[in-house]
Amino acid sequence: MASPTVVELSRWQFAITAIFHMTFPALTVGLSVLLAVAYTVHVRTGDPLYLQIFRFWKKIFAVGFGLGVVAGTVMTFEFGLNWGTYAHAVGPVIGVTIGMEVITAFFLEAGFIGLMLYGDGRIRPRTMALASWMVAFGTLLSTTWILSANSWMQDPVGYRKVDGQFHAADWTRILLNPAFAHRFPHMLLAVLISAAWFVGGISAWYLVKNRVQAQPMARRCLSLALGVLGVLMPVQLYVGDGTAGFMGEHQLPKLEAFEGNWTSDNNGYNLLVIPDTGKGENRFHVEIPRLGSVIAQDLGGTRTTPGLLQTPPAERPNMWTTFYGFRAMYFTALLMFGTAFAGVVLRVRRRLFHSPRFLKWMVWMTPAGIIAITGGWIVAETGRQPWVVYGQLRTADAASGLTAPEVAASLAGFVLLYVTLLAIWARYIVRTVKAGPEALPTGPASPDASEALVA
Amino acid sequence: MLEYAGYALVLFSLGMYVVLDGYDLGVGMLSLAARPERRREYGEIVATAWDANESWIILVGVVLWAGLPGVYAVVVPGAYLPLIVMLFSVILRGLGLEMQSAAGGYRRGWALLFGGASLATTVCQGLVLGAVLTGPHQRNGTFHGAALDWFSPYSVLCALGLVAVYLLAGAAWLQDKTEGRARTGVRRTGRSLLLVTAVMAVVLGLGLPSADPQQLHLGQPVRAVLFWLAVAAAVAAGAVAWSGFGRRPDWRPFAAVATMTGCGLAGLAVLTLPVVVPPGLSVHQAAAPHSSQLFLVLGVGLCMPFVLAYNIYAWRSFRGKYADPVESPLPPLPTRAQSPMAAPSSTGPLRTVARRVLLVMLGIVATALSQDVFGGVSPVIGPIGVTVLGCAALAAWITGDRRDRRAGYFDADTEAETVS
Repeated sequence: MASPTVVELSRWQFAITAIFHMTFPALTVGLSVLLAVAYTVHVRTGDPLYLQIFRFWKKIFAVGFGLGVVAGTVMTFEFGLNWGTYAHAVGPVIGVTIGMEVITAFFLEAGFIGLMLYGDGRIRPRTMALASWMVAFGTLLSTTWILSANSWMQDPVGYRKVDGQFHAADWTRILLNPAFAHRFPHMLLAVLISAAWFVGGISAWYLVKNRVQAQPMARRCLSLALGVLGVLMPVQLYVGDGTAGFMGEHQLPKLEAFEGNWTSDNNGYNLLVIPDTGKGENRFHVEIPRLGSVIAQDLGGTRTTPGLLQTPPAERPNMWTTFYGFRAMYFTALLMFGTAFAGVVLRVRRRLFHSPRFLKWMVWMTPAGIIAITGGWIVAETGRQPWVVYGQLRTADAASGLTAPEVAASLAGFVLLYVTLLAIWARYIVRTVKAGPEALPTGPASPDASEALVA
Repeated sequence: MLEYAGYALVLFSLGMYVVLDGYDLGVGMLSLAARPERRREYGEIVATAWDANESWIILVGVVLWAGLPGVYAVVVPGAYLPLIVMLFSVILRGLGLEMQSAAGGYRRGWALLFGGASLATTVCQGLVLGAVLTGPHQRNGTFHGAALDWFSPYSVLCALGLVAVYLLAGAAWLQDKTEGRARTGVRRTGRSLLLVTAVMAVVLGLGLPSADPQQLHLGQPVRAVLFWLAVAAAVAAGAVAWSGFGRRPDWRPFAAVATMTGCGLAGLAVLTLPVVVPPGLSVHQAAAPHSSQLFLVLGVGLCMPFVLAYNIYAWRSFRGKYADPVESPLPPLPTRAQSPMAAPSSTGPLRTVARRVLLVMLGIVATALSQDVFGGVSPVIGPIGVTVLGCAALAAWITGDRRDRRAGYFDADTEAETVS
């Protein structure tokens, strides 16, 4: 049995490596779809603008994808490295799911990415487009499998327990578990949305800085990003609300923690709390009265939100991380919703490219999606504690029999390495963006631009 | 029987990994010895395929986890430190390679990082191999040893041996991919690496009985025949590689080295079956339950032909000698003919304030709709409201985009605007 120090250090290490890994798929899944769309449009219409878009975003995508692959390799081994008991217990279920992810999704992405990035001039344009779609399809498939695996841990079904090991009894129920039905659409929309903010924010920067060579590309990408966001943001809030509702039914302690209540008599909505875990009360909190029950579909304002004191102390998640993870996600989501709404209004009013204040705000929104996704996963994972497989296997019982110095050394190594990597990655993005897209030679003035492009 | 299929899948993925990532790790290590002006080229030679090659070790990891969780739960914590350092090296290697490739020209730091991390990755993999062969301490299917158990003279020898094997594969790959000086030098490099590999194989083979706590059953006739067949095939392949280095056709040395590596792995498996991790952790004890084995073998097995097919397609697309890719220049973009774009004139202050208040209220209602706040009144309000919002945004997107395209927003700016 691992010591509490080892468990604690292993949890930190897993959290840091998982969050670091997540920042890359959060961009590359959506970017791969953008690249596939851009290249296909270029092949079909011959519009050079879309080739410029493809080549520019390809540079950011390639490095992000490579870092995502290597950070993902870490995750695959960490299940066994730090969580050997967990690996042995859930291997027959989660191991198989992730095995299917590797064979169907990882290989598809990795097999075609070489063609997509280096294929120009070696393979036909149609094959390039196909390769881009295969990469995009692979990243989406990967999202599907990993959400299936994680959702099963949130709400395990379809298994038998034999000597502490989970044996699969019904694969359909395991793979398409009830939590998956809510969480998969939520995450799928989230990765598309976060890439859209990234693309929209960088495009807005070119417009703010009035970079001449990049103007057509920046307008085209901003229009595309805000178009996607205008459609997806309302859907995402709706799906997210459904996910929170589902979690309230299936994992009540998580809802109690992320709403920030100890007692069950609050009908308000907490904006800010300073919880005192020992006493089981909030030292300080700021709330909007009655809003809690309005969100819980009681417009009269009498319904109250359940509090954490209902749950026995040994089964309570940490309110700090769960509450603030949720607030980071939800408040960012509201900002994103408002910005997307403003984008739709500005477009209708023909001012989308003429609103300096809005464009400057868009630049600030560049990392919004990544922040929201990170917050959301902190809620999902810390809110499930103290369980690793909800209600079945405690995190404290899941760790490997390692010694504390080993894990401390690897944790320090990961922190150092990942901080450096994030800095290098950020510097690379800034440099690539500042260098701008490949210059487009300008052709003769076309008397009627619309006809030339529709063809 | 099914557990053997799972084990075969692990061995197959491991073999694919050792051959494929073996050559790109080898090329990485060889780049350290290459002249600076060639280092970038070495990186670019493997840049088209390293993601795909590295996927095989992820497959080894997860198939081991899903098919033989008993082995995964013992070996992976048992070799904690070398595996962690290997993961660090894999990350740095990917970083060095991608940044070098994205930089456009030669960058000394990134190139050396790629080469150095390739070496570190290989050494760590060799230490893990040594740790497995010398038998980690285990009880009830979990690891119960100490932090430095993986370190032994035999595991250090394994690390050296693996470096030799990967270098050999890298040299053979370089002969297939390069022309001129790099290719002519490969004859001497390849042959001396082949000798080193052969010596290491004999040393490791003879050392195995003393390092390995389990009994090797070479007395059983079937086992002995299969083992010596594998050894004979490996020796024959080695001879082909020996004569093939520096001679056309250029693909021959790599094919021979791949065969050699495969035979070596098969020989080791034949020698130890059914034990996977000595002493005594057998396929039967470590295997996952039947339902998982079946799903895994069918799922992965059925996908495998497709995986191999598109990997072969990707390999064929880049076959032959490496040449610097030339991107075709972008075709010209039409220039906007119309007068400079101007924002619509603004309205009076009173109307602006009124419009903003109205829009904020509309935004709050839209948020409330998306949050399904009115679900208590009637459950259909939420979904219908969200559909209406989404469709309205879609309509605004399509019409606005068409209008902007007609107005020339997506064409290049005219000279007059460029100056202003």
